[in-house]
Amino acid sequence: MDEIIILEDLVKIYDTGAIKVLGLNRINLSIKRGEFVAIMGHSGSGKSTLLNILGCLDRPTLGHYYLDGVDVADMTQDELSRVRNKKIGFVFQSFNLISRMTVLKNVEVPMIYAKLGPAKRRQKAAELLEQVGLGARINHEPNELSGGQRQRVAIARALANDPPLILADEPTGNLDSQASVEIMELFAKLHQNGSTVVVVTHEDNIAEYTHRILTFKDGVLESDRINESPTPVSDNVGLGSRKS
Amino acid sequence: MVVENLKMAIAALVANKMRSFLTMLGIIIGIGSVIAIVAIGDTVRRIVSSIYENFGATQSIIYPNFQDDSGYRLSDDFTKDDIETLKKVFGNQLAYIDTNGSASGDVKTRMGINKVTLTGADYNFIDFQSFKITSGRFFSQSDIKQQRYVAVIEDTAALKMFGTENATGRTFRQKLNGALREFLVIGIYHLDISPVQKLFMGNNQSVSAYIPSSFFYGNDESTAFSLRIFADKSFKGEKLARFNNDFIEYLAKMKNRKKEDYYIVDVGAQMSQVDQFLGGVSVAMGGIAAISLLVGGIGIMNIMLVSVTERTREIGTRKALGATTGDILTQFLIESAVISAIGGTIGIIIASAGMSIVGALLKQSVVIKPVAVLLAVGFSAVVGIFFGIYPAQKAAKRDPIECLRYE
Repeated sequence: MDEIIILEDLVKIYDTGAIKVLGLNRINLSIKRGEFVAIMGHSGSGKSTLLNILGCLDRPTLGHYYLDGVDVADMTQDELSRVRNKKIGFVFQSFNLISRMTVLKNVEVPMIYAKLGPAKRRQKAAELLEQVGLGARINHEPNELSGGQRQRVAIARALANDPPLILADEPTGNLDSQASVEIMELFAKLHQNGSTVVVVTHEDNIAEYTHRILTFKDGVLESDRINESPTPVSDNVGLGSRKS
Repeated sequence: MVVENLKMAIAALVANKMRSFLTMLGIIIGIGSVIAIVAIGDTVRRIVSSIYENFGATQSIIYPNFQDDSGYRLSDDFTKDDIETLKKVFGNQLAYIDTNGSASGDVKTRMGINKVTLTGADYNFIDFQSFKITSGRFFSQSDIKQQRYVAVIEDTAALKMFGTENATGRTFRQKLNGALREFLVIGIYHLDISPVQKLFMGNNQSVSAYIPSSFFYGNDESTAFSLRIFADKSFKGEKLARFNNDFIEYLAKMKNRKKEDYYIVDVGAQMSQVDQFLGGVSVAMGGIAAISLLVGGIGIMNIMLVSVTERTREIGTRKALGATTGDILTQFLIESAVISAIGGTIGIIIASAGMSIVGALLKQSVVIKPVAVLLAVGFSAVVGIFFGIYPAQKAAKRDPIECLRYE
């Protein structure tokens, strides 16, 4: 199976009671394993709706969504939970780290739900934090870290269960430009190491890091173009080789 | 998973120390008051039953209750012969009998005037009492037979009358059957009772002394219309009641009276009645205390609902990372159960320690039944889980997308 994501005639209708709103209108799309893709669009374009469906947080009204070869359109909530746990690594705009828990513990969370043993979890989490350049801060709490550092923790957490798909929702939205560059270079590095990375953004310079840019407007895929010259990545990005 | 949840629950509680403590306080007070009240109830029951046991649980007092108009006849008196006859007829079943006689009057000694109650006792009376002879001896059979003017007095009486507990060999004079007699103290006894027991027994100003029961036989000089009997020590409940009934029946026939002309005060029956009553009161009080536990449980529910709202984003994040509905439910349920269990444990410790300290101060051993403690622990866990279910379900059912969007 070469495609990690296949969307077939995907439709999402929001039923607000009085009126029905068309969120996504017949989306047909496929993303290959190992691609680095940006999803762009203004607010109301349907990109958040698509992200929720791609992330298995929401189900399409009609059509099919094959994730890693499995149709997830008709799964129950708990089945979707398991799919999210195993197949998707989320990176959010506002980091969504759990306060009162150390960075190490935060990275362990997805592995707890995957029922990994405590020793294995701790070792893996420490390794991942080392890879994103936070090996010295594993026992800090999130509020002791800068925004860029928090997003690195979130990326380490997204990698915890070796998911085939990394989904990032405006990952640089809450970061200054320096940190934004660092985070995007980290994603680029993940891509180089073989991960499939999908980044939702409304900023062109962020999208320019990726190799394929999908633009949405009014619930429809408006353009799908290959980025011939992605922003080059400096070599000093701290990410060791990862098996994918 | 459960271990992880326990760790997370404890971490969450530690993060909000003051709030956790205040929430626990409801459970601490609830469990503490249930334990304390049940312990007080059980202790009072034990005190009361020990008082009855001091009297002898198979003891009965028989009083006349004459129905016909003629009233009291001379032949109603219980004579020495009557006593001997009853002893012979009932044999071993009747362990003890005397005429329940007593006399009280003022006794003048160097220490001043004391009101002394002289109670008749046979030589084997001591077998049915919980008091101990601390010096000298109790009556011998010949003391009784020969009506010797001897007395066995309580240590506190000795102290009041002679200024010393070591009063064997001393004498005192008291009026008995119309004449002033001199009694020789041949023994001192000690009744071991706590101040609390004393409180329950009432404050009796007079001091106590025993003299031979033979002084109180009905004869020309004195009347004796009451009997004190002890059935065999092994008799209980129905067997004891049957014996008492047989005894009265025979007595009535012997004295040419009807059975209804006598009534019997049965210590065993009284004891079980009082014990039942106290048991009921104890359960009722425990039930009332359990209401405060309910209030504590509502406190837990309230704080858990606040916590669920506060941690909306955490719930959304956990769900996005793969937590199932059951995972979130378990997490919050364990958190409320932990609050309740810790609160319950603290409540038990405080109540037991408090009761033991009060007991030590009052020199009264306190009864804390393990069953009551186990019930309290179980109940607090049930309260925690019961009142945790609603908030936990609320958390578990939340939509992850809305949770992640929550500000």
